[in-house]
Amino acid sequence: MKKILIANRGEIAVRVIRACREMGISTVAVFSECDRAALHVRLADEAYAIGPSAPRESYLRIDRIVEAARRSGADAVHPGYGFLAENRDFAAAVADAGLTFIGPSPRAIELMGSKTAARAAASGAGVPVVPGTATPLAPDADDAEVARVADTIGYPLLVKAVAGGGGKGMRTVTEPADLANAVRAARSEAGSAFGDASVYIERRLTRPRHVEVQLLGDRQGTVLPFVERECSIQRRHQKVVEETPSLAVSPALRSAMTSAAAAVARAVGYTNAGTIEFLLDESGRFYFLEMNTRLQVEHPITEMVTGIDLVRWQIRIARGEALDLDPARVLQPSGHAIECRIYAEDPDRNFLPSPGRVLQLRPPSGPGIRDDSGATAGLDVPIYYDPMISKLVAWAEDRPAAIARMRRALSEYLVTGIKTTVPFFTWLLAQSDFLAGRFDTTYLDEVLKSRNGQPFVHPAPAAEDVAAIAAAIGTVFSPAASAASVAAENGDSQAGSNWKSQGRAEGLRQM
Amino acid sequence: MHYEIEINGRLRQVTVHRVDGQFVVTLDGREWNVDAARVDSQTWSLLIGGEVPPTPSSSDTPDLKVGPTYGGSAGVETPIASYEVTLTPDGSSGGLIARVGDTPMAVAVNSRRRWGRKDEGPQSGSGGPERLVAPMPGKIVRVLVKTGEAVRARQPVVVIEAMKMENELRASADGTVAEMHVRDGQSVDAGSLLAVIHR
Repeated sequence: MKKILIANRGEIAVRVIRACREMGISTVAVFSECDRAALHVRLADEAYAIGPSAPRESYLRIDRIVEAARRSGADAVHPGYGFLAENRDFAAAVADAGLTFIGPSPRAIELMGSKTAARAAASGAGVPVVPGTATPLAPDADDAEVARVADTIGYPLLVKAVAGGGGKGMRTVTEPADLANAVRAARSEAGSAFGDASVYIERRLTRPRHVEVQLLGDRQGTVLPFVERECSIQRRHQKVVEETPSLAVSPALRSAMTSAAAAVARAVGYTNAGTIEFLLDESGRFYFLEMNTRLQVEHPITEMVTGIDLVRWQIRIARGEALDLDPARVLQPSGHAIECRIYAEDPDRNFLPSPGRVLQLRPPSGPGIRDDSGATAGLDVPIYYDPMISKLVAWAEDRPAAIARMRRALSEYLVTGIKTTVPFFTWLLAQSDFLAGRFDTTYLDEVLKSRNGQPFVHPAPAAEDVAAIAAAIGTVFSPAASAASVAAENGDSQAGSNWKSQGRAEGLRQM
Repeated sequence: MHYEIEINGRLRQVTVHRVDGQFVVTLDGREWNVDAARVDSQTWSLLIGGEVPPTPSSSDTPDLKVGPTYGGSAGVETPIASYEVTLTPDGSSGGLIARVGDTPMAVAVNSRRRWGRKDEGPQSGSGGPERLVAPMPGKIVRVLVKTGEAVRARQPVVVIEAMKMENELRASADGTVAEMHVRDGQSVDAGSLLAVIHR
């Protein structure tokens, strides 16, 4: 394997390029129109345009990506996560073109990609699943039929996309009266996100934790489970903080969960990297939730506590090498790691996306800090894709030290031009329930609701003093700012116009 | 030089004099010695001595930066506090964003406008009709209310899909939908007027 095409963008494309470079493998990037100058393009050895910015016109175009692989002479394709990473047809098209797909077989992707089929596979391997419908709801099922099925499962329940992932196409229903609308909303979101509108119904456990097990499987039949990841800190079913190990998992429970995860993977002949997600209830019982047949967003925390480079192993497994890792080593965490997903969202406006140009970016660094990012200053956070700009990971010898380190790193994170979720994480990592590990998947949505929009950012008077001093001195150096303000005083009150003129003045000014 | 500087809706009086390559800044009658070094077009390193304000912090998060101490043992000179401040234009509010440590703040210099409230966003404020605008380009997935319909504070008005997620845009206060400018499936640009709600 000499040259790998990375069929993705953003931080994960950069992550895979880095592993390739360390292995002496050359890299091929693909990019959409708005990503022409993106970091992954600049870091790669070769780069090919694959179409307009909308994902359906570029990063989801199997034909164009396979053509770019052929043109570049790549011998393998890494799909990253998202986009085509769990698309059976893509894996098959790569294989049909005579290239190696760095991931599981098309058959495993197809089987585990159907949530209902995956649940059946887990049951078959003797692993408990959350009670729910065995098959998708009929596409033409009317409201009464859906209500009848829901009654057999019981409330509260979840309506979930069969092809789902990342919390998309999922709705919680606590009252039968809300069911019909929830099914419609989930179908609509699933249809646009996955091209498959089918949904099924699952019981919603009360206060479960989300605990997952990373796996590697080689082509010789070895399946190796890793120490669990705790991913219960979720907003609207999307993980925002992950950590490993979980405070809720004892060594005995770890042994049971990782064995169960490996059993499911073996039952479907799984190869390469994958993750089995479980729900863990208050009494310590766990249930198979789903399998992700790809590298996870949160894989770095596992790397930090095991010292294993998962992307490197994905590549080694894909070229036929056998897993020779000590199983005990990857089950026993060294220290503690936490990840915060830094999003271009405004936490003080209900986490609305905040796309736009990054004016300045200075990520934290120093002991135990890893920032996996695809953003750079001068680039726009595009409106077309997931607005995650970086994954900030902190490692330390124990959980309190890792949290302290993460708080230190958050305080160093300088991003201007866009709003980010950094202030939200600063707040979250000071909450007593978080510090004590008293949380489940409902925790974050409930605590956010109880805050009722109270701002995360509320400066102390001293910070306002410093800002006033800085603004005055900045104006001394930049008369343009005063000029713009005078224009505003003279009746030019149209919102934003003074800052447009300020922007123009700033653009002309040379310091 | 004298400036009126508005921060988070509060008006401050500031004068700046250059003395020996540094600045003497008077803020609402209190005076500081400030050594200002420009790092790049938007970043300043300020060393503030004299009557030094305490280290900034958000009220519900403990301080991370250990601030200077005061009134210590005899012979200890007045501490000089170090701050990094960025000043960047804020397209959404039409002001400046000053960032001190990890705390961003809205700032306007010499503006006669009296915001009188903290949040100048298009969805907030008291009195007058509320103009609900698209915060980003996207597609209207669902319009949830009709013209003439009464809405409650925080009631979802439209659902907009952008950046692969559906986002509910809500009314900021109780009112009546006076105008609805979009329909299901319509694409909108950032800043497009979606609805007007009379309070």
